[in-house]
Parts: sequence; structure tokens; C-alpha cells
Amino acid sequence: MTHLALRAVVRFASWSALVAAGALAGSQVGAATHFVVIEGIGGTRTYAESFRDQVEQMLTVLRETAGSDDAVRVLAGREATAVHIQAAFDELAGAVAPGDSLAVFLVGHGTHDGKDYKLNIPGPDITASQLDSWLDAVPAASQLVVSSTSASGGALETLKSANRIVITATRSGRETTATAFGTYWVAALSDAEADTDKNETISALEAFRYAEDKVKAHYADEKRLATEHPVLQGERAEGFLLARVGAAAAQALDPTKRPLLERRQDLERRITDLTLRKDQMPADQYLDALEALLLEVATLQAELDKASDSEDGERP
Amino acid sequence: MSRALALGASLLLAVCAPAWGQRGDERGARPPALARCDTHYDKGRPLEARGCYGQVLREAGPPARAEAYWMLGDLKAANDEFREAVRLEPENPDLRVRWGYLFIESHQEPEAAQLFEEALEIDDEHVPAMLGMARVMASRFEGKAGEVVRSALEKRPRQAQGHLLLGRMALEEGNLEEARKALEKGLEQSKELGIAPLEAFALLASLEMLEGRRDNEWIDRALEYNPGYGQIFAEQAHFYVITRRYRDATERLRKAVEIAPALWRAHAELGVNLMREGLDEEGRRHLEIAYEGDPYSAKTVNTLRLLDTYDDFDTVESEDFSDPGTPGSIFMLGREEAALLRPYVLDLTARAIAEFERKYEFRLQRPVRVEMFPNHDDFAVRSLGMPGIGLLGVTFGYVVVMDSPSARPPGEFHWGTTLWHELAHVFTLESTGHLVPRWFSEGISMYEEWMADPRWGESVNPEYIEAVRTGKLLPVAELDRGFIRPRYEGQVVVSYLQAGFVCRFIAERWDSSKLVELLRGFAEDRSTSENIQSVLGLAPEEFDGRFDAFMRETLGPALDGLPSWRRNLKAALEAAREGTWEAVIEPAGKALEDYPQFVGSGNSYVLLATAHDRLGNREQAIELLQAYERLGGRQPETLKKLAGWLEEAGRSEEAAYTYDGLLYNAPHDEEIHARLGELLLEAGEHAAALREFESVLALDPLDRAAAEYNLAKAYVKIGDLEEARVHVLNALERAPTFRPALQLLQQVKR
Repeated sequence: MTHLALRAVVRFASWSALVAAGALAGSQVGAATHFVVIEGIGGTRTYAESFRDQVEQMLTVLRETAGSDDAVRVLAGREATAVHIQAAFDELAGAVAPGDSLAVFLVGHGTHDGKDYKLNIPGPDITASQLDSWLDAVPAASQLVVSSTSASGGALETLKSANRIVITATRSGRETTATAFGTYWVAALSDAEADTDKNETISALEAFRYAEDKVKAHYADEKRLATEHPVLQGERAEGFLLARVGAAAAQALDPTKRPLLERRQDLERRITDLTLRKDQMPADQYLDALEALLLEVATLQAELDKASDSEDGERP
Repeated sequence: MSRALALGASLLLAVCAPAWGQRGDERGARPPALARCDTHYDKGRPLEARGCYGQVLREAGPPARAEAYWMLGDLKAANDEFREAVRLEPENPDLRVRWGYLFIESHQEPEAAQLFEEALEIDDEHVPAMLGMARVMASRFEGKAGEVVRSALEKRPRQAQGHLLLGRMALEEGNLEEARKALEKGLEQSKELGIAPLEAFALLASLEMLEGRRDNEWIDRALEYNPGYGQIFAEQAHFYVITRRYRDATERLRKAVEIAPALWRAHAELGVNLMREGLDEEGRRHLEIAYEGDPYSAKTVNTLRLLDTYDDFDTVESEDFSDPGTPGSIFMLGREEAALLRPYVLDLTARAIAEFERKYEFRLQRPVRVEMFPNHDDFAVRSLGMPGIGLLGVTFGYVVVMDSPSARPPGEFHWGTTLWHELAHVFTLESTGHLVPRWFSEGISMYEEWMADPRWGESVNPEYIEAVRTGKLLPVAELDRGFIRPRYEGQVVVSYLQAGFVCRFIAERWDSSKLVELLRGFAEDRSTSENIQSVLGLAPEEFDGRFDAFMRETLGPALDGLPSWRRNLKAALEAAREGTWEAVIEPAGKALEDYPQFVGSGNSYVLLATAHDRLGNREQAIELLQAYERLGGRQPETLKKLAGWLEEAGRSEEAAYTYDGLLYNAPHDEEIHARLGELLLEAGEHAAALREFESVLALDPLDRAAAEYNLAKAYVKIGDLEEARVHVLNALERAPTFRPALQLLQQVKR
């Protein structure tokens, strides 16, 4: 699915329930999300510093999301060789449970030789074909690959797979100029502005739309012809949780809140069902039904917030 | 309608049509075999002419065959024959000149110029090539054209073409006396040299029309010579168009196609001109006729293509502000941006009409039609039939066409000041029956921009200061010349500014009512000199002297400050580049004193403000950016920064003023609408806040839930709880756990 088609779908449906029911729900019942960050060669000092900053910022967010440093693997500098990367995926193939999720981030410069995409790393580059075979061996229920490099669009076709979302900074391997996408992608993971469904979590779809929007503005502000056009390929990006912002982070980890959160998730699912039937209902009837469900959400939310507030008050 | 080439269709009719600029050795030597055919043609005997040219096709070589095909209207075959002729005789300059004229005939002036150039490379004294080049230059209104013609006349004094070309240019500049001398000489030479006098008749008919005698003896003489010579009226229409008398031009063009139904250029001009009056359907009919006959005309094809895109526009009518219930204005806006722009464009138009009706004591007789094109080339085609012009807006009477904000990069185009400028033209044109001279119409428009808002209008640029300093400004009586055929780079912009300052000078030293009196004088067809003398009571020369003094006083230190300004600015920029902000202060401050009016790229205000801010002096920085804003500084990022600083300093009202100004410069910036909406809501201006939040929604924001929520808040403030409920539900539909929206829902629920 192209990102344009995807946008058309999300425009008419509330996906926050799916977000909550997807990775967030999974993490609550023991399923885990594993993160792999690969930092390629910068080439110049400026690029090297920029890539390092992006990776460090991303690691801070991902470690918090995962709730553990162990779930986040990083391959940078001398460690980012094809041998080490393959070894990391081999290890993941054994460690990841079938219900888990896997997210891989490629930061750096990329190229496309007309046949395959390559990430520039020390020693022989890794190709999209290699990455595809390593990913196929990991039994995760859902996978996400994000490449913010130049020419990353050249990996789209190779990495296409069921249950895999692929996000690239460019739409093809022919867009070879260094990209701005990575900077905005990282910013999305900690900017509440990216949380467009206001559920205090940032999904892959939200981060993508935020970064895509900022890239467009970047070129418009600089009065330059855009040399990168980000693409999102695959389904259910709205359900792939990447970061928590606000109170959600604490609530998600608190077992006492679980019953309330589950009731809220149930209501959100019902809202999603309702929005999908919107076109088949008279407008007034739809709004009345939506209002009734949302008032229940409001009551639950107030209870959740009250519980959090009283806990805050109890703290020394 | 098919746009496929249809060459054959025009063959039979083409011999009835005079082909302007087509023949005569003065435009390159032609084979003698054509002479007897040409006589049939000039005398309006189409059947005989067709038979004669047909015989040439069968019997003659490529040069004559090219000419015969041309006369028969088959431009493609003529082009092929010329290519072959030039291949056979590569050193013959006449062939290249003739081929060049064929390109002029098919509206391809750049290719024509290339061929004339090549002919001059073969023979640099080739008079027909020089005249061809001058004709191309004249069609582009290049000042050098006259020089080239005079040089050709020196080389060959006995000719008609050069004199007629000089006469044409003088007519275009409005110099009727000089035009008459040149045209009479051209006619005399035509007779002496045995050249058909039709072009001389047409230009003399135009001259007398501009003198007030529309139907004159030259028309009778031309039609006596050739009853099918519709070009006589088409030529007159050309001069009506360049003096912006579009309705009069339409009348002439109707006559042209009536007596010469195969005059495709006239059909095309008539089509374009009818569209200038807002009569699109009738215009399309004539353009389609023109296309059938001449599918090569870029103007015809472009305009027809543009008409095909009109389905992508929304047309809305506003009610007359002073007479509710009647249509006041009609707006054509690109569908994708109509929801965003509509409220601002309608509001600004209503304000402008109210202001100008009051000031100029003139009540509009018809609804104004405002068309805004998101694609600049569409606007250019709509204005002149051709893409690639540098204009921003054009007014054809009651029809205003202009770029929309999305036609240009963000922040580079102030649509508000442009629309205000164009709407002022509606009044100056219509209140004078389109008799107002160009300089006064532009002058009033420029002046009104400055009067509308201190942030609007053009700022004084270094070229203008230099023109004042070196005495290059034109006398007021000749100011039109600066717009029509500029003599130096940048003279058009200098003339716009001069015209604006002339109007400001009159309003300040006399009274703004004098501008209205001048307008009335122009409506009575007074010349600029007569009008200045009669309304202001002084001779134009004396006016020029006083204006010069006013201008020097107005420019103040900038008049002699440019060299020092450049030096100081350079030093300040270098210090800024190195990040030594203390070292920026002194040179930037001096540069500001040298040329305080400069707010363009790299100006002293922004430099100084940045330096002061970096050095911890925010208050001073704010003051500088506010001065920048007041003087017409428009860089959106800078002004957004100013507004943000003002908000941080708790100066909400001033911040709202800055954001409000940006609506006319960067209306596609979501943040500007959102921040302004919040400030207006806080200030209790709920209806205005509502408009801003609706604009955010019209921009299809990334954070749609927040936009819907903000709109709901505004509806609560104005007491419309039902609308508030709908919008808060829209917000929550996308973001069911959005806390503030959930709280608001409890307040507005049914």
C-alpha cells in the first residue's frame, strides 16, 4: 500500500484503538518489541556528527519505550560491519518470540546500483537483499524497517513482505542526495505534536506523517526543489508503537491501572467500529452514538487521571 | 475539441487574409515570379491570387515555392521549402530574413531573431535583417529597437519599412506628433517605391483613432484598395489594447472578423479580449475559430488549454457591501485553496471597494471579477496569452487576474498588496472610461498600497535612489514612456515607484482631492501636461522641479548614502558570519542610518536585531524588527520570530498585529493561523478567532484533532454550542483520548 492510499484510509477511521490494541496491548501481556539501530559511515565530520546525534536521541527514546536497554541493539562505528550485523540478526532469530515485534533503523548514507540498495558501512556494504533474508529469519509478528538514508527508496521492492512495514526517506534509488528525513524522524519520537490522535503514544504512522510534513516544509522554506520524497509501505503502521509521551508511559507500566486501561481500549475499539460504519448511518444518529461512547471514555479517563494524581500526592 | 494540427483547412481561405509583415523586398528579397500574384492578393482578388500562387508551386524553385505556400496559408510546407532553400544557398541572407518573417507570422519571435542574427552574420549591413531584428525588439517593447531602425534608415534612406516601424513605436509610446511624421514619410515612400500602402493606411488609421477619430479616411482608403482588408481594424484594436481600452478594442475586432472571416489573429485577439471583459464563452468561440484556421498560434492554443482548466476552480459571488442582496463581486479561486483564501479575499475586496468608492467618488457599474491562479503560467496566459511573464497581477477594467499565493514560493509574494493595487486600477480605469494614462493609473495604485497599510507597497530600492540622484527620472509628461519602452535596465520598476511618489507628492503638498480632480481631467481626455497645469496650476516643467526637490528630501540620507551603506553592510555581514555579534552593532547601525528604507534581503534591521538578541538585549531586537515590519519588511520567518518574541514578552496585541500582517504574505502557514486564532480568542475577538481556526482546518493540518478542538472552543465562546459539539466530536473521532476535548465534550454534550 502506498502512503497516499494509507492516508486515505486513516482519514476516516480512528486508529488509536488499534494502536492501543496492537503493540501497547502486546507489551502488557508479555510480548516485547526489539529494536536494532545501525549507524553507517558519515564520510564527513558534519554528517558523522549528525548521524551520531540522531542515533543517540533515538536510543534514549527506544530504551524508554522498551523498558530495558537489552531490547535495544546498536551497531555503530567499527561494530557496524556486515559480519557483526549478520551476527546480531542471527542472535535475534533465536531470541525473538513469534508474538514479538522487531524494528530496524538504518542511519547514514545509502546508494543504489540499479539492482540493489546498499547501506554504507565499514568494510563491505550490506544490501537490501541481505537485510531481507536476515529479517525473514526473525519470527516477529510484525516488523518495521526505517531507512533515513539517501537512495533508500531503492530498498522498497526488495524489503516488501507481509507483516513488514518499510519506511524510506526517498521514493526510489535515484534520489541520491543526502536527506533531511532522519533529523525529523528522530524529532517525531519525542515531540507531542506528532501524537495526532492524542493517545500519548507515537506510532510509526504518526512519526512518518510528522517527518514527511517537516521534510516538505524544509524544502519549501529553503526554496529548494525537494530531492527526497518519503514513502511508507505496508499496513498497520498505526499500530506499531515507537514512543510514549505524557502520562501514558507511567500508566502502561502500572499493573493497578490495567483494568481501567483495558476498559478504555474496549471503548476505543467500539469507537473504531462505529467510525467504520459512519457512511451507513444518518449523521445525527452517528454523532449521538459517538458522543455516548466518548462520554464513557471521558469518565474512564477522569478515573485514570484521578488515580495518577492521588499517587503523585502520596509520593514523598 | 481536438488540438491536432489541421493545416489543410486554411488553404482556401488564407488568400483572403492579408498576412501582416509577409511581403516586400524591404523584408528580404523575394523571387520576381511572385509579383503578379501579389497584385491579385493586394487588390482583394482571392481566386486569381490562389491560381497564380498554385502555378508558382508547380513551376518554381524552393525560395518561390516557400513564399507561395506561405501566401496560401500552408506554413508548415513553407517552412520545409525555406529549410531546403537555405540548404541550397547557405550564404544568401535574404532567404534567412524571409524565413525569419515566416517565424514572426507563426508567433515564434525567438526563432525569428535567431535567423535575423544569422543573416547579419553573413552581411552586417543587411537592411532587411536589421529591420527584422528591430521588429522583434519592438514587439518586446525593447528600447533599443528605435536605434536599430535609425541605423537601417541611415544605410538605406529610401524605404517605407523603417519609417513605418518608427511610426508604430511612436504610436505605442503615445507620441502622436512624431508618429504622424514617420507614418506620412512611410506612406510617401510606399507610393514612390510601388509598395502596397496598406500597412501605412492601417497605422495612420490608428493614429487618427488615438487622436479621437475612430472611423477616419484611412479606413475608407484601405478598404477601397482591398475590401477584405480586416487588418485595418485589427491594427486599431492593437492600439486600443495597449492603451487598456479593451471594450473599444473588442468593437474594432468584431469589425475586423466581419469583413475578413479568415483573419485568424483577429479571432484570437477577439477571443482573448472578450475574456478580459469576463465573456468567456463568446471568447472561447472565437479562439476555436482561430485554432481551426491557425493551429500554430501559441496564444490561441495556450488560452484554449487554460479554458479547459476552469473546471478546477470554484466561483463564488459576494454580496454588495453597501447594497445587500445584489452581487458585489465574483471570485474565481483554485478549488484546492478556495476554502482557505475565500474569507480573506472577499473581505479585502469589500474593504478596497468601499475605500475607493469613497475616495474617488465613483460607484462601480458592474460586479468586479477577481481571478486568482495557483499556477503562475496560467495567470500569464490569462493575461497575455503567453507564459513566462514577470507580472503579479493585471486589471482589464472590471476583471482582475493575478497569481494566487501558491503560485509563488512562500513569503515571496504579498497577495494582499497586489490585490489592493489591482482593485485601485478598476477605479482609475472605469472612472475615466479607460482614458487614464498608464503612469497615473499605476501611480494611484502604488500610492494606495502605501496608504492601505504601512507594511504594504513597494520599498525604495537602490536603483530608484540612483535614478533620483543622477537625474534619470522622466518628466511627468513623459512618464508613460518608462512603462512602455524602457531605455535602461530596471526603468519599469523605477517608473512604478516614480509614479507612486508623484501621487504621494500631490496628496501631501496639495491635497488628495487633487488626485480625484486629475482623474476627472483624464476622463475628459486631457493630456498629462494640460491636466497638471489645469488642476495644480503650474506648468509640468515646474512640477518636475518641485517633485525632484520633494524626492530628494524624502530619500534623505539614502540619496548619497549608498556607497557608505554598502561598505558598512558588508562589514556587518562579515562580522555576523563569524559570529562576533558585538562587532556587528556599529557597522549595521551605520548602514541603517545610511539607507533606512532598505528592508530587502540582508538588511540592517534583521542583522542588528539578531546581534542584539544574541547579546541578550531582546527589547532592542524587538524594536528593530518592528521598525523593519513597519517599513515593509516581509520575510515570514523573521516576522514569525518577532511575533513569538512579542508573545513571550506578554505583548499579545502587538503579536496579533504581526500575525495578522502575515496572512497577506504567507497564508498557507498553519502556525500563523493557529497562533493568531489563540490570541484573538484570548482577546475576546471570537468571530475573528473562528476564521483563523477554520483556516487551519482548510490547510488539512497534520494535527487535525487539535484544529477541530480549537474551532470547538471558538464556537463555545460565541455561544454556538451545537457547532461546538460537532467539532469537538470531530476532534475526538480522530483522537478519542484527547483529554481537553473530552472535557469540552462534557460541557457541550446534548
